[in-house]
Amino acid sequence: MIFIILNRFFQAVLVLLFVALISFLIFRFVGNPVESLMGQEATLAQRAALEEALGLNNPIYIQYFDFLWKAVRFDFGNSYRGALPVAELIASRLPATLELALTSAVFAVIFGVFMGIYTAINRGSVITNFILSSSLIGVSLPTFLIGVLLIWLFSVELNWLPSFGRGEVVDLGWWTTGFLSESGLKSLVLPAITLGLYQMTLIMRLTRSEMLEVLRQDYIRLARALGLTSKAVYFFHALPNILIPVITIGGLQLGSVIAFAIITETVFQWPGVGLLFINAVYFVDIPVMSAYLLLVGFAFVLINLIVDLSYFFIDPRLRDSELKDKA
Amino acid sequence: MDEPLLEIKDLSVSLKKRNTISVAVDCLSLNLYPSEILGLVGESGAGKSMTGSAILGLIESPLYISAGTITLHGQSIVEAPEHIRGSKISMIFQDPLVSLNPLKTIGEQLVKTIKTHFNISKAEALERGKRLLSDVGIDPERIDAYPHTFSGGMRQRVVIALALAPDPDLIIADEPTTALDVSVQAQILNLLKRLCIERGTSIILITHDMGVISETTDRVAVLYSGRLVEIGETSDVLQHPKHPYTAGLVASTPNIDPHSFHKKLFQIPGTMPDINDVPNGCAFHPRCEHASNICQTQKPPLFNARASCWLLETPGETL
Amino acid sequence: MERFFRSDFFYHFCHAPVAIVSFITIILIILSAIFANLIAPTNPFDPSSLNLMNGFTPPLETNEFTGESFLLGTDDQGRDLFSTILYGLRISLFVGLMAVFLAMVMGVLLGLIAGFLGGWIDSIIMRFADIQMTFPSILVAMLIYGVARGILPPEVRYEMSIVVLIISIGLSEWVPFARTVRGSTLVEKEKEYVTAAKMIGLNRQQIMVRHILPNVLSPVLVIATITFALAIIAEATLSFLGVGVPTTKPSLGTLIRIGQDFLFSGEWWILLFPAITLLALALSINLFGDWLRDTLNPKLK
Repeated sequence: MIFIILNRFFQAVLVLLFVALISFLIFRFVGNPVESLMGQEATLAQRAALEEALGLNNPIYIQYFDFLWKAVRFDFGNSYRGALPVAELIASRLPATLELALTSAVFAVIFGVFMGIYTAINRGSVITNFILSSSLIGVSLPTFLIGVLLIWLFSVELNWLPSFGRGEVVDLGWWTTGFLSESGLKSLVLPAITLGLYQMTLIMRLTRSEMLEVLRQDYIRLARALGLTSKAVYFFHALPNILIPVITIGGLQLGSVIAFAIITETVFQWPGVGLLFINAVYFVDIPVMSAYLLLVGFAFVLINLIVDLSYFFIDPRLRDSELKDKA
Repeated sequence: MDEPLLEIKDLSVSLKKRNTISVAVDCLSLNLYPSEILGLVGESGAGKSMTGSAILGLIESPLYISAGTITLHGQSIVEAPEHIRGSKISMIFQDPLVSLNPLKTIGEQLVKTIKTHFNISKAEALERGKRLLSDVGIDPERIDAYPHTFSGGMRQRVVIALALAPDPDLIIADEPTTALDVSVQAQILNLLKRLCIERGTSIILITHDMGVISETTDRVAVLYSGRLVEIGETSDVLQHPKHPYTAGLVASTPNIDPHSFHKKLFQIPGTMPDINDVPNGCAFHPRCEHASNICQTQKPPLFNARASCWLLETPGETL
Repeated sequence: MERFFRSDFFYHFCHAPVAIVSFITIILIILSAIFANLIAPTNPFDPSSLNLMNGFTPPLETNEFTGESFLLGTDDQGRDLFSTILYGLRISLFVGLMAVFLAMVMGVLLGLIAGFLGGWIDSIIMRFADIQMTFPSILVAMLIYGVARGILPPEVRYEMSIVVLIISIGLSEWVPFARTVRGSTLVEKEKEYVTAAKMIGLNRQQIMVRHILPNVLSPVLVIATITFALAIIAEATLSFLGVGVPTTKPSLGTLIRIGQDFLFSGEWWILLFPAITLLALALSINLFGDWLRDTLNPKLK
């Protein structure tokens, strides 16, 4: 088991180094590192001196290691716009994105799993057919359109929920949260649904097909034959067995949540990292793009690693077979 | 004789597909008495397992019970079979490798089953679970182990413990040893038989193996194409079969007898018909060497409460 | 052609109402985009034909200043919405089509090379594909778009934006093509006729192109259809985010963004009609793609 964990960890580091390489190439060759530090007013001599000081004349692999070493210490240079350190910019935006992503993931998992189980147990019912056919439309709807339509209905027509921003946030020193105020929570509803809807549909379809598969198994028939209640059959026997595929896909979808957060944040003017990134793309703010790529790459690799490792805690067969391999 | 424990009368199970209805179990009647072991034998597709599932109400659409009654202690159980599942009748399936939930320890599965039927604390349920495990010959200390750490035979013992846990009056064992090694089969059968005799539990043993029937059961019912063809005391049926199909089954059973070792095994010619294509009259007549005109047109009734064959119509005539 | 009408494929098509409806929708939308200059009453991309006084005219109502009326109303700059949608469709479909073409060419080529040559070339290509697949394609497209804008000198950024858009979406969607083609190539490579052809000294490349390509055509077609829907959504998304096509030549995504800005002031039609068009297009392509997949390759079900 230790060996497997180390192996996965090693692979993750390799992927991360590759992503960092791309991020470095963008930073070094598409952008201009000197500009990110000095701004436009510097003289040629100052620039040359800084180039030397930054090691831009060094061999390329040394520059790459230098980039990595700085990245580990969260040093990504300065943004072209406003000349603020990129790390500071990202740090100030990160809580907004994480709170949004977390809320929508929880929403997607809870509703997705619940609806998946419901539609598997009640095959052919009117509600099931309704859920299934509307999920087909849901998959075809672009995220931004869902967001805009939600705003139209709930903000413009009904005037129930705010259409942009985070509402009132509470500053905890190292974190700003919208969870602690009424307007913060209200502001979270529409963006979280927009972001989570597509993932919810996926999780629902997956849960449903896995549930149908599991319900055909003999241990389910035995459990029924032994007189266990439907509740026990579904939740004691079936649910744990559908968890593995649901966690895999659900976990991997968490990556997409981060990517789609860019879109959602733009629709709702949510002050997160995604909005920062889209502005960086628009204004060709290379250091911010480079750092964002590295950040997202890190998040993806971390998620994949956690998903991989979570199998060991769910499936006793896997746990034991790895132990045996080691012995 | 005692009052029957279980009475099945004219049970039919049908399969509805689009516009056609085919019959999987056809007008089956049989009784089961307390503490009795009844064998249900036939080729695969003869409707044995379907009958077992029908008793527990475990058949699902497109299959459905189209006619007949099933009563337990004189009470009908067709309408609400979930009330008797486990507590009165439980079931054992063929493949122990897939009969246990792989993600739950055997203790968790035992406790869940016990607590479903008895209003006792978790500790008491665990205690009972351990007793059951030692009854079926498994070290009670292994109660916290996961199913995959047991061999096939051991898992079937766990399944037997599960089936006995609600203290049922009847266990339906559907090919309980088919998936096991030959050396383990006898152990499991003897265990099941001993435990049921000790507790006064009846068994319906579903199998295609005449050897298992002869060693284990008190009475045997032979099914062919969803119909009951012969029923009676096991030794009587095996030694003096009254239906040509039973005779064929007995004759085609391998027999480890040094004198007959080199004899070629008997084969019943042909195959059992598909349920969508059951012949008129006696379903067995295309394969029967004794078939006459009446066999092709009219279904034989059960003669002398023993066999459904027109040969028995004329007293004295026999195979 | 007669063969086509007698084929199983055509038979299945005639018995699938969903396929027929979605196919007709797609054809109608494509035709109206192609003949936009004939159908549309005005040319919205021609600034001289616009009259700002016509701005925000509701559908079918008469503008109080100019006395003109428009089928689907006008947007903030007085562009006739109906015409703008038709011309916008042109851009959406053009970008989608070119992006799919780019992704297809690149994916098929790389897949063929990877499967055919094997070894370290295969490992590098497929490993890269794996890593790219962990990132959602819309994110990859945005990154490529940003990088491309960084490389281009600022003065040509504006004119080149449609080309950049096509390249970013195309590069973000090549992986499924490559994976499928590589898989088929590996299977086909082991077949006896390839060995036989090699033994009589035939050129390997020729064998691969003549035998592998025809064999992978139907899955590639299915992937192309589904990718087309994805590419149209990607284009709409990028344009909506303001990093796509220029606002003087609005596509559906741009129109929806303009529409969102005016939702609160009650000009709902600027949002509604482009949104319906986009939804109809994406939904029909998806449904048709699903049907194609089920019909051409029952194994994928």
